[in-house]
Amino acid sequence: MTFVMSKEDLRSWLGQLMEERTLIAPTSTDGLILFQQIARVEEVVLDFDNTVLPPKGCFFPATETLFTVQREDGRINLIPSVVARETVLFGLRPCDANGIALLDKPFLAEPSDTLYQQHRDKTILVGLSCNKVSPECFCTSVGGAPNDSSHLDILLTKIEEGCIIQAITERGKALLPLKQAPQTEAQPPSPPCPEVVPVAGALEVIRQVFGDTYWSRLADRCIHCNLCAYVCPTCYCFDVRDYEDGGRIERVRTWESCQSPGFTRIAGGYDPRSSGGARLRQRFYHKLLYFAEQFGAISCVGCGRCVKFCPVNIDIREVVRDIQSLGVKGGA
Amino acid sequence: MEPESPFIPYLARLQSVTDLTPDTKLFNLELNDPAMRDNFDYSPGQFAFLSAFGVGEAPFCLASVSYRKAGLEFAVRRVGTVTSALHELEPGATVGVRGPFGNHFPLEDYKGRNIIIIGGGIGMAPLRPVINTIIDHRDDYGDLLIINGARTPQDLVFAPEFDIWAASPRSRVELTVDRGDEAWTGRVALVPDVVKELKPSPENAITITCGPPIMIHFVLEALRMLGFSDHQIVTTLEGKMKCGLGKCARCNVGEYYICKDGPVFTFEQISRFIEQF
Repeated sequence: MTFVMSKEDLRSWLGQLMEERTLIAPTSTDGLILFQQIARVEEVVLDFDNTVLPPKGCFFPATETLFTVQREDGRINLIPSVVARETVLFGLRPCDANGIALLDKPFLAEPSDTLYQQHRDKTILVGLSCNKVSPECFCTSVGGAPNDSSHLDILLTKIEEGCIIQAITERGKALLPLKQAPQTEAQPPSPPCPEVVPVAGALEVIRQVFGDTYWSRLADRCIHCNLCAYVCPTCYCFDVRDYEDGGRIERVRTWESCQSPGFTRIAGGYDPRSSGGARLRQRFYHKLLYFAEQFGAISCVGCGRCVKFCPVNIDIREVVRDIQSLGVKGGA
Repeated sequence: MEPESPFIPYLARLQSVTDLTPDTKLFNLELNDPAMRDNFDYSPGQFAFLSAFGVGEAPFCLASVSYRKAGLEFAVRRVGTVTSALHELEPGATVGVRGPFGNHFPLEDYKGRNIIIIGGGIGMAPLRPVINTIIDHRDDYGDLLIINGARTPQDLVFAPEFDIWAASPRSRVELTVDRGDEAWTGRVALVPDVVKELKPSPENAITITCGPPIMIHFVLEALRMLGFSDHQIVTTLEGKMKCGLGKCARCNVGEYYICKDGPVFTFEQISRFIEQF
C-alpha cells in the first residue's frame, strides 16, 4: 500500500499517534540530532543525515533495570521490569532498522531476552529513506540500501509535496490514518549510491590475517574510548551489576564494550585479551566473522557512525580493505 | 502473563557453609521452590550463577552431583566483590541461583577408560563431581588417578574427602604442594612435574585437568610428552561472564561462547580456536 501524504497531514498523523503512544523521533538538541521522546510535533526533525546515536537504546537501553529486589518481613521478592507503553519509533534510517534486526539475533535466540522482546513487541518502526548519502555511509556494501524497507513497518520517502508512505507490514498498515489519499503512482526518487567497500573480498581471507601484526599496529593509535561501540547500532556487549540505594536493590544491565580494559578479565586477575591489539581485533572479528558464523550475517550495517566519530580515525572501511590486501599478500 | 526473564534467579536458602581452606568455603544451597528442586538436574562440568543481592552475580561450577539430591554445592574462593559478599553470609541467608548452564564432561563416553584427574587449587571444584560420579559408579570406569596440587597444604580444597576417594577400588590420590609446612611430609613439587614423575599411560585413558592457566599450560606439555593426544585431554575454560546465555558476548572466543558451547572442551577443540585463551 503506497500513497502520498502532505506535510500537513504528516504533522496531524504524528499528533494522533502521540495521543495513544510514546513517540520517539529525531530531534535537534544543541545542534545534535538525537532520538528523543516527542512532546510537541514541531520538535520532530525530518531533514538530517543520520542521528548521532542509533535507536538501539529503545530496545536495549544504555542502562536498564532487569529486576528489583524487594525485602518484606525477611522475605525476598524479585520484581521483573516490564515494558508498559506502546511506542512508535519514527524516522529511523533503513540501516538502523537493519541494525535492530541484527540485535534481534542474539537477544531473541532461545532463551529469549524477555525484556528486549517486550520492547520489540511494543514498538512500531516507521523508517525514513535516505535521499542523500553521508561521506561515511556504505550500507549497500553490507546488504542494505538507502531505501531498504525490510525490518520496517512503514517506510517514508520525502518528496517535494510531502512523503510517499509505504506500509510494509500489517501492523504498519493498521497504524496509518483511516482517511488516506488514493494510491499513488508517484515514484520515489532513485536512491543515492554510497561508497563501495570490498566486504566479500575481505571475508574470504579474514582468517588468514588473524595473527598479523596489523592489529597491534592499528591499536597503537586506538585510545580505547569505546565510542565506536557506543555509536554502533549493532554492538550489544553488556555488563550486569547490582545497585543498592537506601535498601532498594536493583540489578541493572549496562552497555559495555570489548574495547574496555578488563572486558575479559576473570577473578584472580588473569585476562586472556589484555593487549589493545587483541581487543581491537576482537571488535572487527566479532562483527565480520564470529557473528556471521553464528547468525548468518555480519554485524555491520554500514551507517558509518564509528568512522565519523572515532577520535583517531580508525575507519572500518579501511580495515576491510587492509584485511583484503593483507590476505591476498599472505596467500601469494 | 509474560514469560519469565532468564535473568531472574531462583531463590535459594544457604543450608550450610564449610571452611575448605583459609580463602575457600563450600556453600550448600536448597532451592526455595520444592518443584524446582526436583527439576534442577545438572551434570559434572556445568555451572550456575550465584547472586549476593545488592552486590552482584558471578558464575561458579557446580561442585555437587545432581543424583545425590543433597543440595547444590559450590566451592567459592574469595577473590572479588561477589565472592567476598558470599563469604559474609551465614546459614539461613537467601541467595539467587541461575542455571545450570553450559555443557558437561561426557562421562558416558569415558566408560571403560582409565581416568586421570589433574587439578590445581580451586580448579578441583569442577573435578569433584567427576570424581564422585566415578566412585559412585566404580565398575563403569577403569583406573582412577587423581593428582591434586595447591600452593600450601592448607590450600588443598577437598582434603577431608581424599581418604574416601583413595579408598575407592583401583583409585589413587597423589598430592603435591608448592610450599610445605612443618606437618607436611608429602611431595613439594609443581603439578606438571608430578605428572612427568608418575608417567600415566595414555593407553585407553582420558585426562581431565582444571587449574590456573599456567599450570594447564605445562600439564598439557607434560601430557603430550607422555604420548597423550589432544583429544584425550579435557579441560574447562574460564571466561568473564554476565549472562550464561550466549548474549553478553563477554566469554566469546572465536566462534564460540564459553558459557554455552563450553565450558568443557578437549584440547583438540581448543587448538582449533582462531584465538587462544
